[in-house]
Amino acid sequence: MSTGLLSGDARVEAAPRFPRKRKGISGRSIAILVFLSICAAFFCVPLYVIVTTSFKTMEQIREGAIFSLPSPITFEAWVNAWDHACSGIRCEGLKVGFWNSVAILFPSLMLSLTLSSITGYALALWKVRWAGTFLFILFICAFVPFQIIMIPLIILSSGLKVYGTIWGIAIIHAVLSMPFLTLVFRNYYKGIPQEIMSAAMMDSGSFWRVFGEIIVPMSGNIFIVVLILQVTSIWNDFLLGLTFGGLGTQPMSVVLANVVITTTGEAAYNENMAAALLTAIPPLVIYFILGKFFVQGITAGAIKG
Amino acid sequence: MPRVIFEDIIKSYGKLTVLKNLDLAIDDGEFLVLLGPSGCGKTTLLNLLAGLLDVTAGRITIGDRDVTDLDPKDRGLAMVFQSYALYPTKTVRGNLKFGLAAHKLPTAEIEQRIAWAARLLQIEPLLDRKPAQLSGGQRQRVAIGRALVKKVGVFLFDEPLSNLDAKLRTEMRLEIKKLHDELKSTIVYVTHDQIEAMTMATRIAVMDAGVIQQFGTPDEIYGRPANLFVAGFIGSPAMNLRPATLSVAGGKVAARAAGVDLDVSHYGFLTAPRDGQSVVIGLRPEHFGEPDAAVTDPAGNFSLPVQHSEKTGSDATAYLKFGDGLIATRVDPELIGRFKQGDTVNISFPQGKLHVFDAQSGRRL
Amino acid sequence: MAFRWSRMSPQLALTPAVAITVVAFIGSILWTIYVSFTSSKAFATYGIDFTDWARQYERLFKDKGWTIALKNMLVLGIGSFLAIVFGFILAALIDREKRGEGFFRTVFLYPLAVSLIVTGVAWRWMFNPSFGLQGALHSIGLTFISFDWLSKPETAMYGIILASVWQGAGFYMALMLSGLKSINTEIWSAARLDGVSFWRLYAEIIIPMMKFTFLTCAILLSLGVVKAYDIVVAMTNGGPGQATWVPGYFTINAYWVKSNLAYASAAAALMLGITALIFLPLVLLTAWRERARTS
Ligand SMILES: Nc1ncnc2c1ncn2[C@@H]1O[C@H](COP(=O)(O)OP(=O)(O)OP(=O)(O)O)[C@@H](O)[C@H]1O
Ligand SMILES: [Mg+2]
Repeated sequence: MSTGLLSGDARVEAAPRFPRKRKGISGRSIAILVFLSICAAFFCVPLYVIVTTSFKTMEQIREGAIFSLPSPITFEAWVNAWDHACSGIRCEGLKVGFWNSVAILFPSLMLSLTLSSITGYALALWKVRWAGTFLFILFICAFVPFQIIMIPLIILSSGLKVYGTIWGIAIIHAVLSMPFLTLVFRNYYKGIPQEIMSAAMMDSGSFWRVFGEIIVPMSGNIFIVVLILQVTSIWNDFLLGLTFGGLGTQPMSVVLANVVITTTGEAAYNENMAAALLTAIPPLVIYFILGKFFVQGITAGAIKG
Repeated sequence: MPRVIFEDIIKSYGKLTVLKNLDLAIDDGEFLVLLGPSGCGKTTLLNLLAGLLDVTAGRITIGDRDVTDLDPKDRGLAMVFQSYALYPTKTVRGNLKFGLAAHKLPTAEIEQRIAWAARLLQIEPLLDRKPAQLSGGQRQRVAIGRALVKKVGVFLFDEPLSNLDAKLRTEMRLEIKKLHDELKSTIVYVTHDQIEAMTMATRIAVMDAGVIQQFGTPDEIYGRPANLFVAGFIGSPAMNLRPATLSVAGGKVAARAAGVDLDVSHYGFLTAPRDGQSVVIGLRPEHFGEPDAAVTDPAGNFSLPVQHSEKTGSDATAYLKFGDGLIATRVDPELIGRFKQGDTVNISFPQGKLHVFDAQSGRRL
Repeated sequence: MAFRWSRMSPQLALTPAVAITVVAFIGSILWTIYVSFTSSKAFATYGIDFTDWARQYERLFKDKGWTIALKNMLVLGIGSFLAIVFGFILAALIDREKRGEGFFRTVFLYPLAVSLIVTGVAWRWMFNPSFGLQGALHSIGLTFISFDWLSKPETAMYGIILASVWQGAGFYMALMLSGLKSINTEIWSAARLDGVSFWRLYAEIIIPMMKFTFLTCAILLSLGVVKAYDIVVAMTNGGPGQATWVPGYFTINAYWVKSNLAYASAAAALMLGITALIFLPLVLLTAWRERARTS
C-alpha cells in the first residue's frame, strides 16, 4: 500500500474532474450482432424443427406446419424410437444400437489412447531410428480414404474371427485413429522441455517409468482433448459401424440410418426425429459441457497435424 | 572418489563440429568451472559427460570405468539444470524420490537421504509443495537437492544460477561453494559468468569455439592468461589489448605502442623476443597507478587526454584516448573528479603486471 | 557398441504402431491396388491378365455411375467452399465484435458434434416436400419457393451441399478464429493508429497473413469431400436414381451391392489417387511452413 506519497492520491476519492460519457454501442456493432444472430438462427432451425417434431403427434405433423409448437405434447415418439422402432426386420428400437455404441466406445477408447499416447511419446521424446520417416508415413495414413483399406480389413478381421463383433469394431476404430492421434500426442509431447526429459533420463532412464510417473501426469489436458475427440468420432461414426457391424452389433448411428431410410409405408417422422435426437444427445451433452476441449481437439489436430 | 578424464573428444552435429579433439582431466574433489562465451560447447561437453549426448569419437572415463557407452543413470552422476527441470506434477519430496528411481534403495534409506538433503538445503518446510508453488531460489535448492540425494561422486551444474536475481545469485554461489567444501565431491560447473568462475572454482577451463583455451587455477587464468582470447575474456572491465612492436637493444627490451615505449626487459618471456616483432600488449585497467602520482620504476608513463568516465558506485572507470583507440583505467571513485573530459592526465603502469602476446598466434610470449 | 536395453524399449514400444501401419495401411493399400488389376468378383483371385490389366479402370470410366460420382464430387467440392467463406466471415465478425463470442461460437460449432447421419436425417425432414419447409412456406403464400430439392435429380446435390455447409461452417470458423487470434494484437492497434479502413485491413493485411490457415482449410475440405459418404446415405441414399452418387458411395456400392471386389478396388484406388493429388500441396505446405519457421 502506498501511503499518500503520490501527490495524486488525495484526488482518488474525489469525483473525477473530467467524467467521460459511457460509450454506447456503435452502429456497426449492432449490424454485426444482428447479422450474427440471423446466422445463429439458421444454425438453430434444424435443431428446433427436430425437437418440436419429435414431440408432435403424426396428426399434427400431417397438417404441414413444420414450425408450429407441438400440441398436444407427446412422448410416444421417443418411447417408440427407443423401444420399438424397426431397423430392417427387427423392431427393437434404438436401445440396441445405444448399448452397442457404449460397448464399442470403452474398449476402443482404452486401446486407442494407450496405443497412440505411447507411440507419440516414443516418437517425441526418445531417440528412435527412422522416427522422421515414420511420422511422415503416419501423417499420410491419417488422411487415407477408408475405402482403399476397407476390403483387406474386412478379410483380415474375418480371418481373426472378430468381424461383426463389438470387439472387431472397437479394434478397427483404434487402428484407424492411431495415425492421427499419434500425431496429436507427438505434437503435445514435443512441447515438454528437453531438460525435464534429460533430468528424467539421469534419474531413471526407464522408458516406462518416465512415461508413467512423469509424462502421463503432465499430459492431463491432452488426454481430455483426445478423449473427447475420440468419444465424439466413435459415437458419430457410421461407415465403420456399417462395414464391420454384424446383425445385432451395429452401433447407434447405423441403427438410426436403418430406421429412417429403410422404412416401408408412411414414415413416422416424429419417431425418426426422436431417434435422431437420441443419437445426438450424448455427443451434444459432451459438447455443451466440455466445449473448450472439443474446440481444442478439432483445431489442434487440424492445424498442427 | 573418481577422476574424470576426457580423451580426444570429438562431437559433431552433422557437418558442424562443436568439440574438436578435446582433452581434459578433472581431479578428484575438484570444483571445475567450464567458462566460455555462449555457444562455445560447454553444455555439449557437460551433456556428453552426463550421457545425454553420444560422443562422435573419443573416450570418457570416470574413476577407472569407461563410461562412454553407458546410460546416463549408470554413470554415477547427478546434474542440476539451468531451468531446474523439476517434475511439475510431483511434490518436492516426489522430485527427490524420483531422483533415486534408478537405484532400487530400501524405503528407509530413501527417507533418510531426503531428510538429510532437505536439512542441508533448508527445504524441509517445502517438501510437500509442488514446484509451481516455489520461488526461483527455492526451486534452485530443490534441483540441487534432487542431485544431492543420489550421493554420487560427481555433480554437474549447467548454469544453475543464471535464472536468479543478482542478490540470490551471490547467496547461492556461497552455498554451493560451502556444499562442495562439505561433501568433497567432484563438481563440474558450467557458467559464462566470470565472477562465479573466479570465486568458486579450484580450476577453470576456459573454452572457446569448442577448444579449451586454458586450463588452470583462477589465479593462473587471471595472472597469466595463455592467449589473447583468455586475456580478453577474463577481467572486467576487459584488459586493454594494444598492438605494439618490440625493440631489442643492448639487453633492454621495449614495446612501442602508439608512440609510447613500455619497458618489458623484466618480463618473463617464454621465447626470446626478436627485434621488430609484432606483439599485442595487455594492460589490465586495475593495474594503472593513481593519476599524476609517480610509480616507482614504471614500465611506462602515459600522458593521455580523457575521453569520458563512468562511475558504478564502488568503482569508476576512465577511458583515455590512446592512439586511435581507447584504454580503460580503473580509478578510485574519489579521484574521478580529476578525469574531466578533454583534460590530459599522466598515469603510469607498473612493471611486472604487463602481458605480451604474439600478434600472429595470439599466444602468450 | 554395447547392447543397451534402454535403447530398445522405445523401439519395442513402437512395434504395435509400426505393425498396424505396415499391415492395416501400407499392406492393405497395396493389396487393394493389386486386386484392382485382377478380375476378382465376390472373392479375391490373384491372377492378373496382363493383356487386359486395366480392364476395371476402363469399365469404370465407361460407367455412368462413376462419371456422375466424379461430377458430384466436384459440385460438392465447389459448393462446400461456401463453408470456408461463411466460416471466415463468421470468424472475422466474431473476432471483431467481441460481444457474445462464446455464445456464437457455441451455436455455430454444435452441428459438428453430431453425427452426419443425424444431420442428414434432420435436413431430409426439412426438405420433405409435403410436410417440410416447403409446406410451411407455401401455406403462408410463398408458393413460388420450392424447397423439395432432394426429390429432384437436378437439385438433390444442392440439398446435400446445404446440409454440409450447415455442418461444416463452424469447423472452419473455429480454425479461422484461432488463426485470427494468433495474429499479433499490435497489428490491429497499428492499423487503428494509421486509420486503415476495415475493408483494406482485411483485404490487404489480414487475409494475406492467414494464407496458411486458408490453405489448410481448403485442403481439409477437399479431403473431406473425397471421403463424403455418410451425409449422402442419410439424405438421399444416392437417389433419386443415381443423382447423388459420390465416389465413396460408388465404391461401397460396388462392393456390397454388386459384390465386385476388383471393381470396388479400382474405384477405391482412384479415390486414393485423388486424395494424393490434393494431399501433395499439403505436404509441400508443411515443408514450406517448416522452412518459414526455421529461417
Ligand atoms: N542439437 C543440435 N544440433 C545442431 N547444433 C547444435 C545442437 N545443439 C547445440 N548445437 C550447437 O553446438 C554449439 C554449442 O552448443 P552448447 O549448447 O554446448 O553451447 P553453450 O556453450 O552451452 O552455450 P550457452 O552458454 O549459450 O549455453 C552451438 O553452436 C550450438 O549451435
Ligand atoms: Mg549451455
